[in-house]
Amino acid sequence: MIYRETGNFVTNYFKDREIFPLKFDKIIVILGLLVLYLYVPTTSEYTLSAHVVPILAVGLATVGLNILTGLTGQLSLGTAGFMCVGAFSTYNLMLRIPENFMSLPVALLFSGIFAGLVGVIFGLPAIRIKGFYLLVSTLAAQYFVWWFFNSYAWFLNYESSGVVAIPPKMYDYWGLGNLLGIDMQGYPARYVLALTVCLALTYFAKNLLRSNTGRNFMSVRDRDIAASVMGISVPRTKLLAFFVSCFYCGVAGGLYSFCYIGNVDLMIYEIDRSFTILFMLIIGGLGSISGSWLGAIFVYEFPIVFTWIGDTIFQGAFNTAVVENVSNMVYGIFIIALLIREPGGFAALWATTKQKLRMWPYPH
Amino acid sequence: MSDILKVENVTLTFGGVKAITDISFNVKEGEICAVIGPNGAGKSSMLNVINGVYLPQIGTVTYDGVERRSINPRDAAIAGMARTFQNIALFQGMTVLENIMTGRNLFMKSSWLEQGLNIGRARTEEKVNRLAVEKVIKFLQIESIRKTPVSKLPYGLQKRVELGRALVAEPKILLLDEPMAGMNLEEKADMSCFILEINKEQGITTVMIEHDMGVVMDISDHVVVLDYGKKIGDGTPSEVMSNQDVIDAYLGVSH
Repeated sequence: MIYRETGNFVTNYFKDREIFPLKFDKIIVILGLLVLYLYVPTTSEYTLSAHVVPILAVGLATVGLNILTGLTGQLSLGTAGFMCVGAFSTYNLMLRIPENFMSLPVALLFSGIFAGLVGVIFGLPAIRIKGFYLLVSTLAAQYFVWWFFNSYAWFLNYESSGVVAIPPKMYDYWGLGNLLGIDMQGYPARYVLALTVCLALTYFAKNLLRSNTGRNFMSVRDRDIAASVMGISVPRTKLLAFFVSCFYCGVAGGLYSFCYIGNVDLMIYEIDRSFTILFMLIIGGLGSISGSWLGAIFVYEFPIVFTWIGDTIFQGAFNTAVVENVSNMVYGIFIIALLIREPGGFAALWATTKQKLRMWPYPH
Repeated sequence: MSDILKVENVTLTFGGVKAITDISFNVKEGEICAVIGPNGAGKSSMLNVINGVYLPQIGTVTYDGVERRSINPRDAAIAGMARTFQNIALFQGMTVLENIMTGRNLFMKSSWLEQGLNIGRARTEEKVNRLAVEKVIKFLQIESIRKTPVSKLPYGLQKRVELGRALVAEPKILLLDEPMAGMNLEEKADMSCFILEINKEQGITTVMIEHDMGVVMDISDHVVVLDYGKKIGDGTPSEVMSNQDVIDAYLGVSH
């Protein structure tokens, strides 16, 4: 069977709305899910901990930022701050609520809601101001959150070092560890949790994007006056975008701390991370959910691949400083090149490639 | 027939500039009312006052029996006003279908959670409203471009899509800001047909700003003439054509 779109006709409008209209797509998705759930957890712990899990966490944050910036057109530099709220909320919910009532997935859900509410508070200025001026508010969110958790040691359970390791028992939820006889703190279990959360939230975002809410978001981005004239409440839409976006960032923060690094550490939620996620978004493509994942994979993997090239071909000629600087330069070049040539980012490049292949070899 | 829209003594100023001075006129239910006047006469400002984008300093707008000093654009939409803009205000990043679907947003009652999970009302609403949208797409004969991003469409078609977006909201009154500006003769004829059909078949009251006098005189039932923010003429097309003030405003007077 070959992959082709011709000969696939939709016979009613409802079928036209399917996420995967082609039968072949559905098969690929099922195969992909099988690989993700059955093969990937059996790969090495290094692969999971150094590549897959962190990409899942930052990718989810990129999807969150995409909802706010790509879909609704509200610029934000507070991503890491909202992730920080998510990470600290997850930890404190697990710590302070008796084990019988709280489990990691539920804590992630609630920390997402907390982050969302914090996002709504810092999103309030968006009702009156637009564009670059809004950056100031989200920048304030970033610094305020950081200062807040830095000032009140209660949130870190009075840990003097400023970093608190997550106790193993926090990973064991719903008695799954005993039931399945696996180590819930191990990376395969953490990976499956992160993957499930990411898939569910990506599906949610995709549905939102192609429903009325998503259209309202985009209408506010494209022409807010026309949107209000059509009966869309612009303030409500903007605040909803802040809530949903920050929910995603909060959950991503929880995943980053719990599933990836295994401790709660303020230092990793500094402004640099907000910028990195913004780079992922721009390189991947504003407004495209799959683009967010592509951007996250590219930006996260580039330094790793670059180091690997240095180690294998140039006998370790690149030290960490070189890698970091080169990475930043490459991101910069990519962003500039994409902004000039293809503002839609990787997602648009992919769409163009698909279009070209469809026409190949007769491009007219 | 009763008046669906009554504009009474509206004055709108921007700082020291008087955009509209003490204008009153009525629009009867079911008619096509054309608002004409030279550039800068305050026609677009008038529409903006009617559907609440601008807040007039003095005066009231009575719509559907409710007298208001100002209305919020969203409430105006809920009350059944839809409009198009002079310099097309389509959502450029969206396709034709998405743009017109957005026009149905007031019919979508499901919450964002239902929509995100794609369950319950969200699924059926999307289907039911798509049918309404497809009717409008068919009416405007834009079936072949429904999946095209609007930014890639030529100007005339964009105007048509914008009309569709307003029409799909099933309004009681349609405010059209220069629906035929910049079009060639055929496109104007098409657009006139659409407007007449909307008005006569669907009974939607239409207030239209237009510069093409041929079109205005042909299709409108009632003409309001503005000049320098003041109303200088009001009546049937033939009355307005013979009004000396209107002739002076358009052709100039010798001093």
